[in-house]
Amino acid sequence: MEAPTGDREPEPSEFSPSETEYLSYGGEHHLPLIMSLVDEELSEPYSIFTYRYFVYLWPNLTYLAFHRGKCVGTVVCKMGEHRSTFRGYIAMLVVIKPYRGKGIATELVTRAIRVMMESGCEEVTLEAEVTNKGALALYGRLGFIRAKRLFRYYLNGVDAFRLKLLFPRSETPFLVSQSETSDHLAESQFAYC
Amino acid sequence: MEDRGGNDVPASIPSGEQMVWADVSPLIAAACNDLHDGELIHGENFNLFAAMSALEIMDPKMDSGMERNGFHSIEEAIENGAAPIPLSLDRTVDVQRCIDVMDHLLSCEATWHRGHSLAQTVFSCLYLLRIERTSTHPLLHSYCRIMRSTCDVVITAVSDARTHEEEDFFTTAYSLPLKGDGDEKCLSLLNSVEETVSRQLRACKAQASRKKLCDGRGLELAKKHVMSCLSELGSMSKSVEFLRSNAGGPSDGEIECRTTASGKQPFGFDANINSRLSAPTPPRAIQILSWKQAIEFFEKLLNDMDAIFSLPLDLSLENILQFLVQFQKSQPDLVARAHLQLLLVQDGKLYGKYSFHVVISRALVLPEGTSDQAFQENEFVVQLGQLTINLIKILCTNNAWQRRKLGKILQDWGVISIQLELAFRREFDEMLKVSADEILFTRLSKRLIVWAEEKTYWIASRFLLLGFQLELYSPKEYCMVYWYMYVIFVNLLEKMQMRASYPVDDSRRKGKKKRDLAKDVGLESGVCASSSCMLLQCYVYISEGLTMMLAALHNERQIFKISSPFNSEHERFIQHFELLQRANVPPHISYHLFMESTTHVRISNVVKHNYFREVQRILASLRGSFAGDSNKLLELHQLEQVIEHNRIALSVIDQVGASDPSLEIRFEFQHHPFFPVAVVKRS
Repeated sequence: MEAPTGDREPEPSEFSPSETEYLSYGGEHHLPLIMSLVDEELSEPYSIFTYRYFVYLWPNLTYLAFHRGKCVGTVVCKMGEHRSTFRGYIAMLVVIKPYRGKGIATELVTRAIRVMMESGCEEVTLEAEVTNKGALALYGRLGFIRAKRLFRYYLNGVDAFRLKLLFPRSETPFLVSQSETSDHLAESQFAYC
Repeated sequence: MEDRGGNDVPASIPSGEQMVWADVSPLIAAACNDLHDGELIHGENFNLFAAMSALEIMDPKMDSGMERNGFHSIEEAIENGAAPIPLSLDRTVDVQRCIDVMDHLLSCEATWHRGHSLAQTVFSCLYLLRIERTSTHPLLHSYCRIMRSTCDVVITAVSDARTHEEEDFFTTAYSLPLKGDGDEKCLSLLNSVEETVSRQLRACKAQASRKKLCDGRGLELAKKHVMSCLSELGSMSKSVEFLRSNAGGPSDGEIECRTTASGKQPFGFDANINSRLSAPTPPRAIQILSWKQAIEFFEKLLNDMDAIFSLPLDLSLENILQFLVQFQKSQPDLVARAHLQLLLVQDGKLYGKYSFHVVISRALVLPEGTSDQAFQENEFVVQLGQLTINLIKILCTNNAWQRRKLGKILQDWGVISIQLELAFRREFDEMLKVSADEILFTRLSKRLIVWAEEKTYWIASRFLLLGFQLELYSPKEYCMVYWYMYVIFVNLLEKMQMRASYPVDDSRRKGKKKRDLAKDVGLESGVCASSSCMLLQCYVYISEGLTMMLAALHNERQIFKISSPFNSEHERFIQHFELLQRANVPPHISYHLFMESTTHVRISNVVKHNYFREVQRILASLRGSFAGDSNKLLELHQLEQVIEHNRIALSVIDQVGASDPSLEIRFEFQHHPFFPVAVVKRS
């Protein structure tokens, strides 16, 4: 699962970050919004079972971004035991084209990762196409490393990177500074989704 | 369903003894009434895989059994004339169409090699699916039989070698008719058809048909086969103008993506006919390689096979490992890699001939008086032999998988080195009365330890270097990666030098002729080993130089810094080197040591130390020892470029001042695959 590369699009003139609202999954009325965003932007056909699997088991790890009431982006995740580590997984991340490059994806992912961290996850993983420079840059800024390359992972024959973010162990305390996070967000004016 | 009784079912899928059609609509309707909007049936065993495998019935993207336009069965397609035999009553047209079928099959075969399912590629051919129908058409029949048996041979080779990873489904044939009676005699069948065709064609001075590589009695014979296949591919390419003009096909622009030389659509293919066989995933629309791409694909495959058949059947493990690394540079496809592995390791022996204890004993230069029997039965030697076999097999897998596997086997090599060390100490302590046997044992154990450690560091270095090829490192991580590489190279060099210093035991070679002796010594120690050590010494200096340069830029310019809200450089260090650290390769290496050695570095120190000049000196003296080895000479040239550019970059940065904001500094791999040059620009 991955998010497509975003081309830089002309800004909607009226865009203002303060008008962007982020909500965690609130119920069945959000499902069609998520499905239409993902179906439109990602190549893989996901059945309704896949969506429900995520949003019903981990509603707190699904976020939607609304700009003036319009749903413009979403992130869908899960977490659980994986080979004796408690691990978060980012399954889908989409921001529709005209709204890319405005920090929306970073904000969506950051919110989900923070919940994972607070829930006791030791690490977060995901897969991204090796050609998806936007997504790779975004996750790189958040501290993900490219842990593995997966040969011909996607059906289109493209390789994937498995990206991993390791949280600091509890014996080496690492403070999440709120101001650092927002500084970082203000800087991330690159194209991604 | 309209018919509630369930009697009106497609005739193509009849009820049988084990199977009966039943209408489940009422059951589903009742189940639906029990569920409210938004509810999900969830069980313990309904995991992500189950969710993703679930299908939405009648969604064309998921439901492979859905009614489509087109034929329901092979029989239906054939009855409707989709695969006529003969292909035309006009004999010329028949031959033209037959060539189209062959061309398209070739494109399908290449597409299959590239990772698509057999069902959607080669076995989309109706002629192949009902091969017995073609028996009245000797040319088509023989080609189909050859194609079927080639697929079978290739699947067998790949399955035996087990070098495949994500291409797992490469070998999944489901229920496709792959085996045919008499297919093992396909070459003689082909020969007889070829003879007939040649006889027919000799009158018109044309060329014979394509011959496929199936059998190799000796590498020389195999090489001859490869050459003849390549020349056939050449003839095919030459025939394209002729075939196209006869066909009056599409224009040049369109022809590029066609799967036949003539540019015509072939008869007898239906890409959807096996859609139900491609379970568990629904079939996707796939792009069959074009005729031109298919020819290029097979040319590369044949050239890779030629490289394999040119492998000198050498007993030196070092040379074999080097060959494998060199071979992988051209990113050979699965089939070539599988064949290389089968050639190297057969029945647990090198080339199917030499036991691995022999290979190890040669690498060790066994001390005089060592009993071959005792050596062979030593439990460590047995284990190391097995580890060496695994290593060779892993080096035949695709680079991505190879790196992950190498990371894992480092554990095994690390453990055996420790066990050897412990066993050696225990024996040594007990050894109060010093007998000749015990001295011998001591020398042997020491050599075995050094050899195992050397291989461990070699694996670690390959693991780190593959990270560059796979683009796993971001520029922000280069500093720690070069630091770790430096540490590994230093350890590897130390072990190689120890091994190169073993006195060559003349007495063991007394019986040999002088010429053999020179050859033996040259292989394992002497000139070859010392030049390998010198090249490695260059790697040591360059890695150290790059580490220091990057650290200084980091310290003075704050470039390549990540300010993640979630973790620090320490976590990224742990993640990148976790497998090495877990295997204790090398011992006592930590993030703190990395910090200690890089925190206070300034550009001025780096310039003063001049790591790169040392390299220049060694490279100059290496030229002579690598004369005749074009790969090595190329690398020497690349390294020269790397150090020259970095030396200049360093002095520019030093003169302008590292903290000057007008400087723009990037690292690029334009000269060498894993050593970059600093590109400095002033804005």
